[in-house]
Amino acid sequence: MANRAVPQRPNGQTPGKICQFKLVLLGESSVGKSSLVLRFVKGQFHEYQESTIGAAFLTQTIHLNDVAVKFEIWDTAGQERYHSLAPMYYRGAQAAIVVYDITNQDTFERAKNWVKELQRQATPGIVIALAGNKLDLNTMRSVQTDESQTYAYENGLLFMETSAKTSANVTEIFKAIAEKLPKNETTNTAGQGRRLVESEGANKSLSSCCK
Amino acid sequence: MTTSTFSKTDEYGFKRPDDFDYLEYEKFMTAYLNYLTRRNMEWISLMIYNPQLKRNSKLKKFVRTGIPLILRGPGWISVSGGQKLKDKYGSNTYRQMLDKPINEDVKNIILVDIPRTYPDNIYFQPNSDNQKALFRILCAFAACNPDIGYCQGLNYIAGLLLLITKNEESCFWLLRVLVENILPDYYSKTMDGVIVDIEVFSRLVKKKCPEVSKHMIALEMPWALVATKWFICLFSEVLPIETTLRVWDCLFYEGSKILFRVGLMLVKHYKHDLLACEDISSLAECFKSIVQQPFPLNCHIFIKQMFTEIGSLPMSLINDLRKQVTAERNAANKSTSKNKKV
Ligand SMILES: Nc1nc2c(ncn2[C@@H]2O[C@H](COP(=O)(O)OP(=O)(O)OP(=O)(O)O)[C@@H](O)[C@H]2O)c(=O)[nH]1
Ligand SMILES: [Mg+2]
Repeated sequence: MANRAVPQRPNGQTPGKICQFKLVLLGESSVGKSSLVLRFVKGQFHEYQESTIGAAFLTQTIHLNDVAVKFEIWDTAGQERYHSLAPMYYRGAQAAIVVYDITNQDTFERAKNWVKELQRQATPGIVIALAGNKLDLNTMRSVQTDESQTYAYENGLLFMETSAKTSANVTEIFKAIAEKLPKNETTNTAGQGRRLVESEGANKSLSSCCK
Repeated sequence: MTTSTFSKTDEYGFKRPDDFDYLEYEKFMTAYLNYLTRRNMEWISLMIYNPQLKRNSKLKKFVRTGIPLILRGPGWISVSGGQKLKDKYGSNTYRQMLDKPINEDVKNIILVDIPRTYPDNIYFQPNSDNQKALFRILCAFAACNPDIGYCQGLNYIAGLLLLITKNEESCFWLLRVLVENILPDYYSKTMDGVIVDIEVFSRLVKKKCPEVSKHMIALEMPWALVATKWFICLFSEVLPIETTLRVWDCLFYEGSKILFRVGLMLVKHYKHDLLACEDISSLAECFKSIVQQPFPLNCHIFIKQMFTEIGSLPMSLINDLRKQVTAERNAANKSTSKNKKV
């Protein structure tokens, strides 16, 4: 657990504010979505990570000052044909990480399509981060940092180049998202009652989920 | 458990998880081995008068008790109609399909997925014969089903078929039977069949376990989150291996409705655990943990109860539900495309 995100609050201390957010990972198959999650949640990396079928669900909590931010992470399958299932997964998400592989230009194009789709169809105000993964393979790079940086800036996205393998920028990107998410309305009880329940999913705007 | 006689990998080459419950497994295996011996004897006598394993009500009953491991390959081929398919297309088909060129993109996705298929299984190590065979099977399958090509998930199915049949060509035919005959449109470019079946499943749960259905809605948990993998991987990588194989015995004989039975059995048996979950995170965890519990591990009890506890589940009901859901989807698509035009 050496690479664990931010240290957990020691037991016994009064908990501060707890916020819970749904975060979805999207991007072409094999760009490293599951690997980023595995690094973030368990501090591990597998050379051969099994392909995700449907979606996988994990949670991880990080601490920003006195706020505990709990991510409900929905890691999705990347193959093009699983696209039709995606709306079921990103529905109601307050944050998304759209991942591409810096050594593969096609995956960057696919990422742009995901961004477009999220901006059109996901929760209005959703915080989107773009992750150029496999930074450790810098020598085989085919997507230039400038290009992605500009694209991210123009589209109001957070942007980082990451490596699930070396763990570069992995915690950082989740942290940057946590910082950008609205965290008002404080109480300090954990447990039942979560973010706003939406029957129409995409039609309402992003609201805070803090308890 | 230091005294366990079981190794860190099972007989199919899968690595047992670190938290594997050897004690529970030992308890199960001791009883199950007796059962297997008895069952094998019964199968031997069955084979005397039905050597071709022709389908009939007695065989169906036998299949539900589990096909002996050594008979599984040929058994699955006979009871599923694989043999018929093979006779229809000719036994040269596999060779021919291996020579047929396939789309480069398809080939590349398959290539990427080969080392990502059962990486923990000792028989699927880098550059192993099994990895090469798996690649050929998936390419040959894509060659004869260009409309499908390759869908992620097929790698796990073909991989497990290979571990069991130990025969590349049998795998190819069994994969074809599953995709072309048994499962409706699961792996196509739009995956419509699986989307429909997830909704069908959700309606069956509503009917058979309404509380769980309500609870899922209340916690905003779509069935797709759990059921996609169930259906796409046919419970491989989900249930314990022995149980998966028993499910596949029934699946090859009885068809896709078996998948609903398995899902309903899990939901029904663990109803109270599921209802006790207070948020989506614990519910998702609960779904992950129930499949590792002693009940699904005890495959013969699990399979038996799946036929006695769920009640009738006629194919006509499944077909009606599929039709209904498909019609609703079509209507919804029509209205959204109309709205777009306006
Ligand atoms: N060198 C390097 N390899 C990586 C990195 N991240 C992931 N990989 C490898 O890339 C392959 C695919 O990673 P996954 O995390 O399974 O990719 P995914 O996006 O989840 O893929 P799907 O589940 O198929 O959609 C695995 O073999 C990983 O080991 C990275 O940062 N650097
Ligand atoms: Mg993945």
